[in-house]
Amino acid sequence: MKKILTSIFMAGSLLLGSGAVYADKSGGTLSFLVQPEPPTLASYVSTSGPIGLVMPKVYEGLFDYNNDGSMVPILAESYKASADGKTVTFNLRKGVKWHDGKPFTSADVQFSVMEVLKKVHPRGPNSFREVTSIDTPDEHTAIFNLKKPAPYMMRSFSAYESPMVPKHLLEGQDIKAAPLANKPVGTGPFKFVEWKKGQYIRLDKNKDYWQKGLPHLDRIVGRFIPDASTRTAAMENGEVLYAAYNAIPNIDAVRLKERDDIDVTTEGYSMINPMALIEFNTKEGPFVDPAIRRAISVAIDRRFMIDTIFFGYGKPATSALSSNFKATNLHAEMPNYPEKGDKAAANAILDKAGYKRDGNGVRLKAVLDIIPYGEDWRRAGEYLKQALGDIGIQLDLRYEDVPTWLKRVYHRYDFQMNVNYFYQLPDPVLGVHRHYGTDQIRKGTHFVNSSRYSNPKLDALLDAGAGEPDAAKRTATYKEIQQILADDMPVVNLFELEFLVVYNTKLKGAYDSAMGAYGSFREAYIDD
Amino acid sequence: MTKSTKIFKYVGKRLLQGIPIILAIVIINFFLLNLAEGDAVDVLAGEAGSATPEYMAQLRKKFGLDQPLPVQLMVYLKNVLSLDLGYSFRHDMPVNELIFDRFTATGLLMTSTIILAVGFGILLGLLAAMRLNTWKDAVITVFALITYATPLFWVGLMMIVVFSLNLGWFPTSGMTNIAAFYEGWDYVVDVARHLVLPTITLSLFYLALYTRMMRASMLEQYGQDYVVTARAKGLTERRITYVHVLRNALLPVVTMAGVQVGALIGGSVIVESVFAWPGLGMLAFESLFARDLNLLLGIFLLSSMLVVVVNLIVDIIYCFLDPRIEVN
Repeated sequence: MKKILTSIFMAGSLLLGSGAVYADKSGGTLSFLVQPEPPTLASYVSTSGPIGLVMPKVYEGLFDYNNDGSMVPILAESYKASADGKTVTFNLRKGVKWHDGKPFTSADVQFSVMEVLKKVHPRGPNSFREVTSIDTPDEHTAIFNLKKPAPYMMRSFSAYESPMVPKHLLEGQDIKAAPLANKPVGTGPFKFVEWKKGQYIRLDKNKDYWQKGLPHLDRIVGRFIPDASTRTAAMENGEVLYAAYNAIPNIDAVRLKERDDIDVTTEGYSMINPMALIEFNTKEGPFVDPAIRRAISVAIDRRFMIDTIFFGYGKPATSALSSNFKATNLHAEMPNYPEKGDKAAANAILDKAGYKRDGNGVRLKAVLDIIPYGEDWRRAGEYLKQALGDIGIQLDLRYEDVPTWLKRVYHRYDFQMNVNYFYQLPDPVLGVHRHYGTDQIRKGTHFVNSSRYSNPKLDALLDAGAGEPDAAKRTATYKEIQQILADDMPVVNLFELEFLVVYNTKLKGAYDSAMGAYGSFREAYIDD
Repeated sequence: MTKSTKIFKYVGKRLLQGIPIILAIVIINFFLLNLAEGDAVDVLAGEAGSATPEYMAQLRKKFGLDQPLPVQLMVYLKNVLSLDLGYSFRHDMPVNELIFDRFTATGLLMTSTIILAVGFGILLGLLAAMRLNTWKDAVITVFALITYATPLFWVGLMMIVVFSLNLGWFPTSGMTNIAAFYEGWDYVVDVARHLVLPTITLSLFYLALYTRMMRASMLEQYGQDYVVTARAKGLTERRITYVHVLRNALLPVVTMAGVQVGALIGGSVIVESVFAWPGLGMLAFESLFARDLNLLLGIFLLSSMLVVVVNLIVDIIYCFLDPRIEVN
């Protein structure tokens, strides 16, 4: 009897104990850095980085993704694909309400995908290109009808990539001009309260959130601080607790890491997969010949660039695909990607191709454009000038402001080589195809095939890879794709960027989502 | 005619003269800004990751950027004359609203800076001139030289390191405590605490300027004939300094302050950037890179109007300081 009493008592205290832990988690304000200030809050129209930092707290997707790649049910509780892969049925969560009190239903899903994401989202037309229609037999079921199987689609249901938006606030309006853009109404754990231009965006806890007990935080405030040193000082002073996408420059992050209360992680970017690279003009100018592009790839010391310019955060590229695609067996290591660079081999390639050095040791001259996104890229350009100078390619560097640079590269094709970085996203179909396909030579569209590389054989393989439901066959197809790209090198991939998250250790529970800073923060709490 | 009616007529005349000047500034700015490569649509589309050419053409049509430049200018002028500064496509807000919001922050910083800089500058310059060639003079002169020669952004960062990080007296940046959302009196105290470091940083530079100017101006006036006459009349040195010399010595300082108020209205990009102060300077800076021309033109228009007004005020102060100067 005594034993039973003891165990009851213990169970009781355990319950009490867990209750106490639970109580500790709720409350508090999280200030985090949003850099730069976003242009609007319409995450269904623009994938611009700072919008992604704020809006996934307000809008939700059908699923979220964990660091191990598993899918977390959010607005959809489960999904089932038919045997031929051409219909996918989503069972939607019941009892979800928009922040204005209206119920969330399958009609919202249909409208979000067919009328919003497929039409006005920058990447939506690609993610959902096989979707022909969505049936809504009842309020909590949405059936996607596909032309062809689209395995990659299942990786694009996050709140950042494919936010679900309220049909009743957008229907019948010009979606790009609707007032919802700056007064967002979502289903997420936080409600939009105000946007003080030049200062902050304030989100407050959604008390009627469908998941009981969440979110823990009372409030999230995204702050804009233009100066990098001041951002670092604000982090040091505990005025902000979280900074992602290199809002704190690497040079300061390695210093802050030494403090007890601040830590750094590279997790939370695996769905983004940023890759640094050089685009070439393959139609005119000095880089029409693939041999030169191969020589450049061989000459570059990728390890040096990572260690010296990016403070060790990055991984040398070993193919046109990021090594993060190893998880889906799509990545294969390729030749012409030496980690430390091989200048002798590069010189040999150029000699063999018949590019002779003149009296000053110069084989050819070119202009290198540099992405105008900060000092690190300028230094990368300076390194390339030196490294390629050694193999007889004399570079002049050109650094312009964003609109001028975009016009030059993507509207006028008035460039020879261009340092840039691309998001490869969670599947090559979403992030890599746009760089190489003939159908992606789209004058005036940014961040697509500016090299104007066109290879019918590759196009066929890209098509096959996109619709291939069989994993082993897909692996083989992508291996062939990577071989062609390693040979022709329309783009020289440099290294996989590792962005940092710098955070105060009293902020907990914000690091499990593979979306990282583009996640919902619904489980984040402050542990004082 | 009495002096005050004379001043009113003068003010009216000067304001009327200001209108063609401001219009000319608007037109020149309009063409100057349109020389820059790329437009707001390019930037928006670039940030969005990818956008189709059709979408961009549609945006241009919506913003009126597909019209020829002279037509765009006429539309803009028409709007300005009806006190509408147009629409900022980037911020999705009327320019009037955006500028007004930022102008309070800039106005606050500007007023406190000018008061601090001009006030202490005059005081220190006066002190240095009265104690010419003593250690006090030397200390003030060296201090003025050092603050004048130190770059603003460095002073700002050092202020943050010393007073925020090490001493913890003031917040690093921003205009309000974000986590707290104070109201009423607490809000005023909160903003004042945030105002201290940016004000000191910005005024140090101007302070040095006014100190040196005031000192030189005082010394020049001491050598004038009227000082000799005053001494011959048997006036005390005190009276000579405060009643006669000081008033005359202030004239060049007031002129300089007038010019600088004009410059400060545009905001200080450096101080606003270092302290994340939400003023007009940063807004102008960002809108240039975003090619948000309506907003930029609006800020320029406001600055030019204020410069005209400030110059007028300076001229009126002249005639109070020196009765020999008359308006007409």
